[in-house]
Amino acid sequence: MRARIERLFDRLVRASVFERAVISVAALIVSILIGGVLVFVSGAFASCRTGLDLAGVTFCYNPMQVYYELFFGALGHPLEGGWTPLNFSLATTLQQTTLLIFTGLSVAVAFRAGLFNIGTQGQLVVGGLATAVAVLAVAAVVPAGFVGTILLVPVGVLAGAVAGGLYGAIPGALKAYGDANEVITTIMLNFIAVGVTSTLLSWQFQDPDSANPQTAAVPEYAQIPTIPFVGFSGRMRFSLLALAFAVLLMVGIAWLLARTSFGYELRTSGVQPEAAAYGGVDDKRMTVASMTLSGALGGIGGAFWVLMVHGRWLENVPSLGFDGIAVSILAGNNPLGVGLAAFLFGVLQGGSRSISTATDVPPELVGILSGLLILFVAMPEFFRMIGQRYVAVDANRPVRADGEGERSGGESDD
Amino acid sequence: MSRNRRTFLKGGTVAGLAAMAGCVGGFGDESGADVKVGMVYATGGLGDNSFNDMAQRGVQDAQDEYNVAVDETEPESAGEFDGAQRDFAESGEYDLISCIGFAQEDALSGNAPEYPDQNFMIIDAVVEADNVRSFVFGEPQGSFQVGHLAGLLTDMEFAAGDGETNPDENVVGFVGGVESPLIESFEAGFTAGVEYANEDAEVVSSYVGDFNDTAGGQEAARSMYQNQGADIIFHAAGATGVGVFQAAESEGRFAIGVDADQSQSESDYADVILASMVKRVDTAVFTAVESVVNDEFTGGEVEQLGLEADGVEAVYGQTLGDEIPDDVKSALDDSRQAIIDGEIDVPDEL
Repeated sequence: MRARIERLFDRLVRASVFERAVISVAALIVSILIGGVLVFVSGAFASCRTGLDLAGVTFCYNPMQVYYELFFGALGHPLEGGWTPLNFSLATTLQQTTLLIFTGLSVAVAFRAGLFNIGTQGQLVVGGLATAVAVLAVAAVVPAGFVGTILLVPVGVLAGAVAGGLYGAIPGALKAYGDANEVITTIMLNFIAVGVTSTLLSWQFQDPDSANPQTAAVPEYAQIPTIPFVGFSGRMRFSLLALAFAVLLMVGIAWLLARTSFGYELRTSGVQPEAAAYGGVDDKRMTVASMTLSGALGGIGGAFWVLMVHGRWLENVPSLGFDGIAVSILAGNNPLGVGLAAFLFGVLQGGSRSISTATDVPPELVGILSGLLILFVAMPEFFRMIGQRYVAVDANRPVRADGEGERSGGESDD
Repeated sequence: MSRNRRTFLKGGTVAGLAAMAGCVGGFGDESGADVKVGMVYATGGLGDNSFNDMAQRGVQDAQDEYNVAVDETEPESAGEFDGAQRDFAESGEYDLISCIGFAQEDALSGNAPEYPDQNFMIIDAVVEADNVRSFVFGEPQGSFQVGHLAGLLTDMEFAAGDGETNPDENVVGFVGGVESPLIESFEAGFTAGVEYANEDAEVVSSYVGDFNDTAGGQEAARSMYQNQGADIIFHAAGATGVGVFQAAESEGRFAIGVDADQSQSESDYADVILASMVKRVDTAVFTAVESVVNDEFTGGEVEQLGLEADGVEAVYGQTLGDEIPDDVKSALDDSRQAIIDGEIDVPDEL
């Protein structure tokens, strides 16, 4: 038994990129089959008007329809007639993708520095409120129209980044100088963020014309502009410019981590803090700096949530920050992978909404389906990560001094 | 061994795929309906045995009578209303989009002008647009009625079902969901009703801050029963109100339900529910759907559904109703008529 597990780990760890892709696709199909059976069987316990009668039992839910909606609903049903790429469902999916790129990057940066930032949600909440307040304040003194846009959008994003960054620096400083576990402080700071912003809102910033807990709306020209003619229409609450900014930021963070001395120090602190300190990295400053960067990215997420989605800050911020943790883990904490993982999450969320409107399947069951999917897609990589600890990858495999030929060792020892 | 497993897997997959292929589009579709309605529920969600369930009952009644297809969505927070309404409006397939609850007002006033050809309806708020039909209820009037009931009973010695009053203390309670003008109008009407019945009575009130926090509702109600001497509590708090019933049951006191006849919908607590302030959300939804089916939908209208139109009323509990003294009931009938005739002026603000 033990030998079999070891062989399995061994195969997973040594799998080529192609094999890993095949494994992921197979896992995807298995999760769909299991989820499909689950949906079909649960349909027997629901009541409906039109169902499939089979051996005296009425099955209400059609698994094919459910998965069709899950994957294609988020894209606006591209296989049906009258589809345009600029449809509302795709806009919502990409809107979620954009926001999750920011929060995913936030978590990934902290992870690479060896810090587990659960506080992206709080940093996003604080950053979002700062954005709304800053834009409302500055809008009073700048002209409307195009000039207003090019002044107010950067001001808003900057305000979100600064507020989120400062809020992220707190657990960083507590960790560096007070030796406080960042997992606990960031979790607690999430609650504090919700409480403080909610108090600030009712104390000062509440929109007097509304019964809902929210700030006044920022002017139309302060929202993220859309590209005329080729972009999505303004009422879809999504701008390609925002997605482009998110992708640029993603590439920028990847470059920062891979190619700069700051990134190198950040990564080494994550892998082996003692070695980094020995090598001359000021570990305390590094902890604060990486948490600040992580918080700033979360705050930018909040800024885009305010300036692109609602045009105002609302209480009960959706759990974008927590989803960012899952996005980052699915991406293996690789900044470039965050984009793909965020898109997968965007599709799943859009698809879930599509299922709940187009079918009678309850939202809880849809949550189980997307959970299964993520679990199965992440599992092989997860086992690979565990496997890497037990299988000595390079021990019996000669590697040339320059690192060439690392993966071409041959299968002789199998 | 390994060969067997492979054959089995292969066979299983083929059989599974064939079985599933047979299901495509075969069921679960509701095409062929005359009218398609999209429902966007309030954040308490379905299963609250109160506000949202009443709205759902209205659309189900319409389905029983006409060939109507319904798609539903239950947003979890106020931020999702905008997207949920757009989801329906953007597809262009819906003949009517029903927005349940005052919290959707902001989102709908933004969306209605952007989809001028789309019919909307909203419950509990007024949106001034040509394609929106607004339904508002006389909550203060209905709340006045149950306040009158509570005020009369609280200093009587009255025991029925699992509850009894506390004649030593002249205190009744109010538990609200989210602090907002609408919910405060329930409290205003209730307080006025209590004062009308009994000038010395005191109303203690508490807002839980959520329509979906049963534990919070229970805590608020329990502290009113135990520490403040309240014996009857009226709630306007959606699913949070279930906690009020739980507290009434465990303390042996009374509660008053809201929106639906909760002695029926929450029948576990029928032994402590004196009455319910019923709001005919179901009638409002049904009327709107019916008007769409008959091609008579007119937007831009505001429908006021007060005591006179039976939009709100005090309905006695299924179990306890018979035990309420007749002189109390006739006093309530009198005050109802007096409100309709304009002799009693019910405030709608605290």
